[in-house]
Order: sequence, then structure tokens, then C-alpha cells
Amino acid sequence: MDDYQTCPKCKTTKYRNPAMVLMVNACGHALCESCVELLFAKGSGACPECKCPLRRNNFRVQLFEDPAVDKEVDIRKRILKEFNKRQEDFPTLREYNDYLEEVETIIFNLVFDIDPTNTNKMIDNYKKENKDITQKNRNRQSQEEMELEELLEAEKAQQSEKANLYVNAELEEKKQKHKAREKLIDELMFSDADAKSIVASHVQATAALAKEQPKAAAQPSSGVVKSSKFSSGIQIGLRGQHTNSFLPIPKQEDLPLYRYTAPVFDYDGPPPPPIEKLGKLNYFANIRAANIAERAGGYTEAMSCCRALQEALGGLFYSPQLTHKTAVLATNSSTQDTDDMETT
Amino acid sequence: MKLNVDGLLVYFPYDYIYPEQFSYMLELKRALDAKGHCLLEMPSGTGKTTTLLSLIVAYMKAHPLDLTKLVYCSRTVPEIEKVMEELRKLMNYYEKEMGMEQNILGLALSSRKNLCIHPSVSKEREGKVVDGRCYSLTASFVRARHAADDAVPICEFYEGFDAHGKEFPLPPGVYNLDDLKEYGQMKRWCPYFLARHTITHANIVVYSYHYLLDPKIAEVVSKEISKTSVVVFDEAHNIDNVCIDSMSVKITKRLLDKCSNSITILETTISNMKENDSKRLEKEYKRLVEGLRDATIARETDMALVNPVLPSEILEEAVPGTIRTAEHFVAFLKRVVEYIKTRLRVQHVVQESPAGFLRDIHTKVCIDRKPLRFSAERLASLIRTLEISDLTDFSPLVTVSHFATLVSTYTKGFTIIIEPFEDRAPTVSNPILYFSCLDSSIAIKPVFNRFQTVVITSGTLSPLDMYPKILDFHPVIMTSFTMTLARPCILPMIVSKGNDQVAMSSRYETREDTAVIRNYGNLLVEVAAAVPDGIVCFFTSYLYLETIVSSWYDQGIIDQLQRHKLLFIETQDAAETSLALINYIKACDNGRGAVLLSVARGKVSEGIDFDHHLGRAVLMFGIPYVYTQSRILRARLEYLRDQFQIKENDFLTFDAMRHAAQCLGRCMRGKTDYGIMILADKRFSRADKRSKLPKWIQEHLKDTNCNLSTEECVQICKRWLRQMAQPFSREDQLGISLLTLEQLQSEEMQKKIQQRAQGV
Repeated sequence: MDDYQTCPKCKTTKYRNPAMVLMVNACGHALCESCVELLFAKGSGACPECKCPLRRNNFRVQLFEDPAVDKEVDIRKRILKEFNKRQEDFPTLREYNDYLEEVETIIFNLVFDIDPTNTNKMIDNYKKENKDITQKNRNRQSQEEMELEELLEAEKAQQSEKANLYVNAELEEKKQKHKAREKLIDELMFSDADAKSIVASHVQATAALAKEQPKAAAQPSSGVVKSSKFSSGIQIGLRGQHTNSFLPIPKQEDLPLYRYTAPVFDYDGPPPPPIEKLGKLNYFANIRAANIAERAGGYTEAMSCCRALQEALGGLFYSPQLTHKTAVLATNSSTQDTDDMETT
Repeated sequence: MKLNVDGLLVYFPYDYIYPEQFSYMLELKRALDAKGHCLLEMPSGTGKTTTLLSLIVAYMKAHPLDLTKLVYCSRTVPEIEKVMEELRKLMNYYEKEMGMEQNILGLALSSRKNLCIHPSVSKEREGKVVDGRCYSLTASFVRARHAADDAVPICEFYEGFDAHGKEFPLPPGVYNLDDLKEYGQMKRWCPYFLARHTITHANIVVYSYHYLLDPKIAEVVSKEISKTSVVVFDEAHNIDNVCIDSMSVKITKRLLDKCSNSITILETTISNMKENDSKRLEKEYKRLVEGLRDATIARETDMALVNPVLPSEILEEAVPGTIRTAEHFVAFLKRVVEYIKTRLRVQHVVQESPAGFLRDIHTKVCIDRKPLRFSAERLASLIRTLEISDLTDFSPLVTVSHFATLVSTYTKGFTIIIEPFEDRAPTVSNPILYFSCLDSSIAIKPVFNRFQTVVITSGTLSPLDMYPKILDFHPVIMTSFTMTLARPCILPMIVSKGNDQVAMSSRYETREDTAVIRNYGNLLVEVAAAVPDGIVCFFTSYLYLETIVSSWYDQGIIDQLQRHKLLFIETQDAAETSLALINYIKACDNGRGAVLLSVARGKVSEGIDFDHHLGRAVLMFGIPYVYTQSRILRARLEYLRDQFQIKENDFLTFDAMRHAAQCLGRCMRGKTDYGIMILADKRFSRADKRSKLPKWIQEHLKDTNCNLSTEECVQICKRWLRQMAQPFSREDQLGISLLTLEQLQSEEMQKKIQQRAQGV
């Protein structure tokens, strides 16, 4: 592989001279370092292969096996600095894709020297037209990059946290084991109890510990919180919901069950008549009796009677001493009262 | 016999049944009723296959709407054939009992290599070559060319199938691979495509794991299997590794060099085509612009190149503009390959996440994530357009494109490891890039999601609770069955020390200790003297086997051993090993007796049975831990710890014990069989290791047999062998471990079975 690299000028190979380093310039032809120094002693000169004028300080170390790729990447980087529109800048995906292809064609043309005049014209045109967007995009990351950055950061954070956690957990475990053993020996030495029972209790204790362990190990992972939120709680980036592949275990809150207690009101007046007694107290006298059709729908005289009563006596609930809150509560409950009446 | 399993009428093709088979049916039926997944462990040699088949077929007959298809996945071709034999027996029994033809179609599917009947193609011996040649004869463009010019060769069998085979479904019956070939010969239809076509309406399909688990193949073969199917993974103790392998990619320097070559071929083909026939390229370009997924994709023969699973929304999107034209795409591939080449030029090991890789490839060669994601799809399309008929040359490039697609699709559960040299030869530069899947649940997730019932079964699945964790699913039934035996057929023992009281262990620290090696040797010699016929020994690795054998030579143990039995050794070479096996069997058959030294995780430990006299004793020298320094393993352990809260040690022990159990199970292949199982390592007697053995072995492992010396072990062996050598007939088993229908229905037995079912 690397051993076969040869300088086209002096025919030195990597095998014979392991210190040889190949360099490339804008034209994509390789030269070894010493040849570069020799040929470009004046600072500029022509490429020995394609005779195109080159400057010495543009020579870079060849990264790839194929110098053509080096050249292409070089051109690509230069072009992409200008052509940096994002998908967000286009109304449809189709147009974005067309744009991408156009960029690709320009790069392709430059690499293979196809139609240089037109291509350069295209680039210049583009530069003029899209100055603002190019400027703007230069300063902001694309969504994809952001995603990757975020992922990498999360990975880093996780790693460091975990390394600490597990090291600590392991140390703790060792310590505990050591302690338990010492305790057992101490007990066996100094206690008067039966040795067998001591050993048995020790075995039990370690078993209990072992049971606890997995729980402890499971905890830290839930403790890892990703800092992918603004202080307002809004997620940064698109992910967040998707990254966590495990559903949290539904928490069972052990609060006491809700129990209904009827509210107690102190009326500044006589108690309201209960619904059953409305008829007896002759309240219905002033209300139109319900006909058969209305009864079928569930309507009774008591309903409209209750409503009328509530409207008439609602003012009694209002007392200036009461705070606003209780007043509201009282009105609410009064409607509830009437609701109760309606259902009966 | 006809059984009543929890209200279901089951035809069972034998006159006798084992009690555990009945319990197995009960549990399986419950899982089918619940439409959930299950994990069932039953010792080998108790008729798992026939039990599974008879219950599921009965269930299909009783509830034809709830359960339409059985997909039975096995590992190897011989195993597939065994399943087909059992199925044939069952169907014959149905026919005899019901007196008419059964409307059930069962077939086996294998690769082209095993099914091809083309006179010259079928002569090829390598699977890849057969696939490539088949493609060159059956691809749609080749056939189109043939229509224009008769000189272009095509496959007459495929033509026959294409012309007539699709309208006439295969008549009901059971077809194994040979039957398919025969049917194909008779009709002059291609059996491979016939089988693939028939999968969609067959009731029972038997094929290899890969057709379902490998996303690249599953996409093509198993796409249209309906949801109301039950999927059975037999011998599934290694399923997590199969899943991982199917999603991992390994790229070597040589592979990349081949890629560069194929890229040059692509370039020349494209420029040729541009001159001669630019229309086709234009057509492809237009299609890609429109964002249509290939219309030709339905054409099954073009599926020789396939893609890893992608979220479907990606597939529906248009190919990004950067790789739309053929030249741009080839330049793109070149950049990818060159980039990977530079990455391989490292001096030390590099490990990074997919996200890190993506960022690096973006900064170094300006490749975005999106075109990478499309590269597999795009390459397949390009190769189709260029009408390249010889695909074998392009497989390296396809591998790289798969890698590109996978790395840009999954950011979690994968890691990239670049090793500049192998650990064993640190001076020889041999850079390899491993793109390793760490999460076995990724590949199997679609299977669990798609099918209503997935049955995972094997002889050794203990500890059962590990599988749901690492495969990330929730089984409704998780049961381990033991073997009911009329006599103590297996004798597991843990030998922890030699006669000189030096502890035996394959621990790293004591590995080189001559005392330990000598004790192992003495144990083997004494056992060989006491045990008749064949003895199989398992070592933890090839390296360990070699060092031990060489020291045994020096210590004269080999000479002593050869006084009693012949000695055979498994090597890494497959041909050598199979030769050794043949001779081993010969030596056992003619009564000379033999010892086979082999390696856990090797070929012998997986899939070769040593029944009856071929394996009267199994010795396990040491605990078969995996090579823990491997970086891929390290990465996986870390991932398991972080994602599934599985401790490293727990997983390593689990993995070691399942392989140990697999080795031990080799000698026990039925109820009339008997065998000694010797675990020669002090560490086996610890509770955490012992409790991870399968229940059917644990049951026979008495506390008194857990800390033996060589001498004691041999004494016990002798006594036990004398007992086992007594004649043993079916009558002895009847009523205890073998039941007739009446016995099964007796109240007492039912109660026992119920108890067993609840006990687990």
C-alpha cells in the first residue's frame, strides 16, 4: 500500500525512503518533499507534469492515496464555502436537490477542467446573487450538524458520568464485602453464640445485599439527565423524544385515596327547602305543571322551581365578611346542590 | 395418538409420548392463545421438533383464521431436512387418521446453491458464484436482450417458471429441498424461484435464520409473510450473535483495494454507455429526480443486490441531488473509499461512535449524512442501469455502500473500531475497520413487532431471563422443562482438584501451571481407562488446546492415553476437522474407542451430535469464557451495561455457561442414551455458575458431586457405568418417562404434569 507510493519526478519510493512525504498542489499532481524544495526554490514554478504555474506555499501533504481525490476535496471545500445554501432556503425538496446537483456539476467541471469559462461565469453569477444568504449561512450551523454535535456531546457527558459512577459503585461493593467479612470474623472470634448461626445470619445478610445491588446499579442510569433543554423546558433540537428508547416505568403514587366530604355552609338565613318537600310546602303553586311529553323527557316541576328559588335566594350566600374564595366555593356548591336536586 | 391439549385436538404421530412433550404443548398453546412471544427450553433428544409441529399444525387446523402460517427457522441444511422429515411423518399420520389428503403445504427454502438445477450453474461450489451466475442468466435486462438476440444465454428453468409456474400453485404436500428439485425437473421450472414464490401461500415454511434476521435478505424473501404467523427459532441459544453478525460490517484493506478496482470498472462502463446508449442513464436519472422508488423493484430476479433496513420514509424520499447523476455518484464512492483508506492508516486502535465518524467524514471530504444514507440504494440502482451481469466483482463495493448506509442510519447501538493490527501479530500491519452492532435487539425487533407469536426454543437457554433482556422483548411464557427419566441417564460432576489436591482451573493465572496441566491429563487418562467407547473433550480455545497438548506430549500423557484409546484433535481447518470426525466415528463404531479433543464454540460443539457410544463422556476443561480482551466484546459489554443494566460479569458468565451447556448436551441425545458430564474447573462449583446450567443438568448435579478429586470422580464413574450397562428396554420406561395415551390421561399423570407446569 503505502510502500508503493512513488514520486513521479525522482522515482523515490516510500519503501526505500520511509521519510518521503508526497505533496500535492492545486493541479492534483504529486511531488515528493525534496523535489518540491528543488523545483520551487524560487517560490513559484510550473508543475513538471501538466506545466501549470504553481506556488510553493500552496503545496500540502497528500492525504489520500489518489492525488486526484486530494484535488477534488480541495476544490470542493472552496466551492462549498460559497455554495452553502440549506434545505430551509428552498421551498421544495425538489429544488434543493436540483441546487445540490448544480453544485456537484460545478465541482465536477472544475476538477476535470470541462468548460472552464462557463463554469467560472456561473460561480461569479451565483456569488453576486446570493451574497446575503451565503454570509448568513456561514455563521449558522445546519440542522444536521447540530444534531450530530448534540449526539456527540451527549455521548461524552454520558461516558464521563458513567465512568465515575461505575468505578464508585465497584469500590463501594468491594468495601462492603470486606467489611462484611471482617465483621463475620470478629463475631466468630468474640461472640459466644453458636458459630453455625452466625455463619447462617451472615449468609442471609450477604444475600439480602446482593438483592439490593441490582437496584442500585439500575438507578444511576435513570439519574443521567441530558442537558438538551432550555431553562424554559423547551427541547433543543428535534430529537429528545426519540433518543430515549426506554419508556419510563409508570410511577405509582402512594397518596391516600380521595374521599368526598360534603361541604358545610353557614347560611345567613333559613335553610333552603329540600327537594322532596317542595311539593308539600306548596312551592309548585306558582309553576306551570309539566305535561306528559315533558315528563317523558325527564323534566319535572321541581327543576324550574329549584332554579327560581336559587335565583331568588342566591343573594343570601353573599356576606361581605367572607373572603372571595369561599364565596366562589359557596356559589359553586350551591349549583351543585341544585344539580343534586335535578337528578333526584 | 390423538391428544387433548387444553381443549385442542392434537394429532401426534407416535404411539408414545414423553410427559415433558405434553407439558411443552400446554405451554406453547398458552402462548399461541395469548398471541405473545415465548421462550421454551427443553433438553435435546426429547422430540422438540415433532412436538412443536404437531401442536402448531393442530392449532392451525382448529383456528384457521387466527393462525395462518408457521415459519420454522433452523440453523443448517441437515437440520432443515430433519424438520421436513418430522413434518412428513406428521402429515402421513393425519392422512391415515382422517383418510383424505390434507390441504397443507409445507416447504423448505435454501439458497440457490442448494436448489439450482441448471446443468452448468449447479456445478459451481461456492454460494456467491452460483448467485452471481444465476443473476447473469435471469436478470430482467438479460432476458430483454435475449428477446432481441438469441445468442444471449438465459436459464430455461427460470423462463419455464416465469411463463407457467406463477399461475399454478404447488399442490399441497410436504416438499424438502430434493422434492422441490425433482418437481422442478419434472415441470422444467426453477425450484428456487418456485419456492420463493410459494412462500407467500405455503402454510409451513422451513428455512434458515438469515432469511428472517438478516435485514438485507429478509427485505426480499420474507417481506410478504402475514402478521398472523408463528415464527419458531429452533436451536436459538446463539440467536443474539446471529442478530449482531447480520448487522455488522468488516472492512479490510484488501476489500478497499478491490473497491477501487470496481470503481474504475464503473467509470469505464459509464463513459462507454454515455457514448453508445445514453438514453438508459437519462432514464434512470429522470426516475431518481422524480423520487420514484424503482419500478423494477418488484422484479424478483433483480434482487441480487439488496439494502439493509431503512426507515421507510427515507426510501420514499428522492435521492439527494449530490449523487443523482452516475458520474457524481461514482466520484462520491471514490471519495468514501479513499476516506476509509486514510482512516485505516492508523498506528493505534481507534474507537468512535457513528456520530463521530459522520462528523469526521464531513470535515475531511465534505460528505453529508443524507447522500451516505442513500448510497446502498443508489449503487443497486446504478448497477441495474449499467446492466452489469457479473455481480461477484462488486460485492466489496456493495459491502462498503452498506456500511455507509448503516453508519448514517443508526447512531445508537453501533460502534466503529479500527484496529491497525491483530493482537496476536502486533508487528504485521493488517488494518481492519469493524462496524460492529452492539445491540442484538435491533435486527430482531422487526420480527417481534411483525409476528403475533415468536417461539424461541433450544436445548440450552439457561438462564432464561437473560434472553428477554438482550433481545429486548416481553415473553408471555418463559419455561424450562426437565427430562423425566426412568434411570439417571446423565452424571454431571464437577472435578475441582487432582489427586495431589492442586486445584484445577483454566484461570489465566494458573493456565501455564504444569501441575494444573498434568492434573487435567491425569483426569483424562483415568477417565479414558474407565469409560468405554467415545470420549469428547472441550477446551476453552484453540490456543489453550495446543499448549496443553504440547505439554502433555512432554509429560508422557499422550502415550498413556493412546494405550487406551485413539486420539483425534479438532483444528481450525474445516476439512481436517471433518476427516478427524469421520475417523473418530469409525474408531467408536468398531469398538476401539477414541478421544476427541475439541474446542468450545468450535464446529464440533455446535451441531454435531455424539449419541450413544459416540459420546459416553464429555469433559469440559475450564470455563469457556470468550476472549475478553477483544475490543468489540468490550464495547458490547459496555453497551449492555449502560442500556440494559447487565453487569459485565453476568453477561460473560452467561455466555460461558451457555456454551458449556451446549458442549455438555452433545452426549445426550435421547432417553435411551446415557453419558457422563465432567466439568473440570474449580469455579464451576460456585453458585453463580452452577445456577446458570440448564435445569435438566442441574437436577442431576448433586451437592456431593460438586467438589471431587480425580480419584473420586473415577470411582463414581465406574459404579455408574456398571449400573447403566444393564439392559434397558421400552417397558422399563413405560409409565415413567414414556406414556401411552391411557397413561397420559390417567388422573395421576395429569396431576403430575400440572404440577410440573406450575413448578417452573
